[in-house]
Amino acid sequence: MPLSKRDKLLMSVEKPTRYTGGEWNMCVKDPKTVDVRFAFCFPDLYEIGMSHLGLKILYYVLNLREDTYCERVFAPWVDMESEMRRRSMKLFALESGDEIRSFDMVAFTLQYELSYSNVVNMLDLAGIPLTSAERGIDDPFVCSGGPCAYNVEPIADIFDFVMMGEGEDMMNEIVEVYKEWKKNPNRTRRGYLEELAKIEGMYVPSFYDVEYNADNTVRSVTPNNPNAKPRIKKRIMADFDKAPTPDKIIVPYGEVVHDRVMLEIFRGCIRGCRFCQAGYIYRPVRERSADTLTCLADRLLSSSGYDEISLSSLSSSDYRELPKLTDNLLAMTEEKKIGLSLPSLRIDNFSMELMKKVQKVRKSGITFAPEAGTQRLRDVINKNITEENIINSTDMLFKGGWTNVKLYFMIGLPTETEEDICGIADLAQKVLGVYFAAPKEERAKSINITVSTSSFIPKPFTAFQWVGQNSREEIIEKQKMLKSAITSKRIRYSWHDNKTSYLEGVFARGDRRLCRAVIQAVKNGCRFDSWNDCFDFDGWLRSFEECGIDPDFYLRERDLDETLPWDHIDVGVKKEFFKREYARAMREETTPNCREKCAGCGANCFGVGVCYE
Amino acid sequence: MSNYVLKYSRGEEVKYISHLDFVRFIQRAVRRAELPMSFSKGFNPHPLMAVALPLSVGVTSDCEYMRIAFEGSMSGEYIRDELNKSMPSGFKVLEVWQNDNGELDFSRLNRARYTVTAELEGAMLPDVEKFLAEDKIIIMKKSKSGEKEADIKPHIFSLAAEETEDKCIKLTMCVSAGNSYNLKPDTVIAAMEKYIDGFKTVFYTVHRNEILFD
Repeated sequence: MPLSKRDKLLMSVEKPTRYTGGEWNMCVKDPKTVDVRFAFCFPDLYEIGMSHLGLKILYYVLNLREDTYCERVFAPWVDMESEMRRRSMKLFALESGDEIRSFDMVAFTLQYELSYSNVVNMLDLAGIPLTSAERGIDDPFVCSGGPCAYNVEPIADIFDFVMMGEGEDMMNEIVEVYKEWKKNPNRTRRGYLEELAKIEGMYVPSFYDVEYNADNTVRSVTPNNPNAKPRIKKRIMADFDKAPTPDKIIVPYGEVVHDRVMLEIFRGCIRGCRFCQAGYIYRPVRERSADTLTCLADRLLSSSGYDEISLSSLSSSDYRELPKLTDNLLAMTEEKKIGLSLPSLRIDNFSMELMKKVQKVRKSGITFAPEAGTQRLRDVINKNITEENIINSTDMLFKGGWTNVKLYFMIGLPTETEEDICGIADLAQKVLGVYFAAPKEERAKSINITVSTSSFIPKPFTAFQWVGQNSREEIIEKQKMLKSAITSKRIRYSWHDNKTSYLEGVFARGDRRLCRAVIQAVKNGCRFDSWNDCFDFDGWLRSFEECGIDPDFYLRERDLDETLPWDHIDVGVKKEFFKREYARAMREETTPNCREKCAGCGANCFGVGVCYE
Repeated sequence: MSNYVLKYSRGEEVKYISHLDFVRFIQRAVRRAELPMSFSKGFNPHPLMAVALPLSVGVTSDCEYMRIAFEGSMSGEYIRDELNKSMPSGFKVLEVWQNDNGELDFSRLNRARYTVTAELEGAMLPDVEKFLAEDKIIIMKKSKSGEKEADIKPHIFSLAAEETEDKCIKLTMCVSAGNSYNLKPDTVIAAMEKYIDGFKTVFYTVHRNEILFD
């Protein structure tokens, strides 16, 4: 039994199973037998990345191919990073343990803005040149996808190419084109990117020149290569019921965030909340049939050995076959003693009945997301939930013995006034009143109401993409106001840190000039920005200053006629629709959901889904 | 319901799995093998199983024992083979037998044999005979209630050292184990560093060879 370097390394870090691989259902291939080695990188901890459905799907899709070996890479935690740097070790993939700098393709999924520093840090740790311009013929291609890819501009210089939309088919296409390209003895990196640029959904940032106006706003984004399209349209899986989905998933050794089978019941959302990027970018809504899902659930449970299964979607209650699916699943879970969790359900008679049937329901926490404190503001954001809904639902819950209710709001929403802030406290107080009104023999002995606020961050491809973001001072002021408006000891208030929201806001609507600041911040030691114990706000401010960038510029209100940094990306939903929705918001008018009445957003251009039901 | 004992090994690939993670892992493997686990009665049923002597993170083993209950009666060979099909490499079920009459009583577990491979700061072969000839071997020992000084001498049944290559030695030991008194090889190493002049390890790995019952 020799003493290996690997043992010395792993014994010196916490949770070594983050780095060992070898889990059940991990794909094992001989790297020598494949044409393309693919590193799928999730720029956060193993526990976060392994909870991500997209990774599981694309890992499966790529590894179905005999010519490709897709391996996983996560951001090593700071203890591991410093041990690796001390030993001059390069970032490696979990499956083979090989350094990813020798791979063909290094792909990052961009799920949130606060992971950008981890992308840069991981490339640095891998020994791969940080920007596309610096890479040579022997370096891997570095690409990305995911929701943040729709405005990838703040880190566009990092990537050789970016995939817009759902990746199941695009993954196969980039491998096919790569294999052809590799055969050419006179190949150039540019040659590969030119071939890719011809494919719908592929964005090659270096093929576009960005010009700016004197006031620092974007003047134009112009293709500089004949193969580059003026606008890049996102891709979707048209037949979602038949879209490839894994029937085997990797089962981690250590506990991860979502440690269970996840069933993706549909993509998209019919609701059209005006602040919600996910609600717009995943349009149109496409469902999987209850029969397909039941079959899939059975296969996933037996192949993984998990004892819990969860539905995954933006709003489970909007799934048309929910009664049938839950009946099928309940039959399965009761027999096998499996837990069924049903997130993002509206509280109504159906879901209350359902929860009674589900085993192991802990009557502890239920979260409501009214998002705003007054009906007026809820109309502005098109959150179609009324005070009556909340009162009726909490009445049902308290009578059913629930003891913990969390109410989730945003502060800093457009048109918000003092009344809206105090409305949050009033609503919480009314919910408390519902508890006391419930008969003593029915309600639980104690009650905990938590009011939780995050700060509103205007996102690209939403009706509020032009709105100014509240300054940190304004947010702090509003948090204080709310704190003093909440008087009951039974109502707890927790709020989101204004500094991370600030940074997220800068990058959400940022442009290409920010990339230097991200690289500088990583040089200054910033990474894991969404982790309290790592987030270094001063480090970020210093980095912006060193690069001559005023981050406040990116939080400002935008002119409706301004060229936005992401205008050359087409998500299907049209800019004109967002303008209309913005105007309706200002008039405090709501918009019906997709199933009530088509609002003409433009997503019907894909020819499928809810638009044609 | 029938009670079984599983004897299994844990290799290099899976030695970093903590005890709690391992328990969850086994439950999932049993589900994958479609073996009918027995659950406890009550509000929050959990599978009926118990590991004889939890293994520390980083330690490999040739010989581990676990008790587990299944509904119905199956042959030990069947359980062994089905489980082995449902485990990633690194785990191997060696033997399974029915234990309804308590043939193997975990409460009688009292010793374990370990092999420690250690890299030393300076090459030396520690004089273990002299070390064991001490009247008492007092060392800080961690327990659930905190750290306290303890005489571990009565709990070292055998200890031998052998030089393998430059600055590396192999230690074999048999020490107390189990519920009444558990002595970790790490504590023995720490004691050797305290009592033997010039003996200092840089790094070592531990392998459990055997768990013994009285």
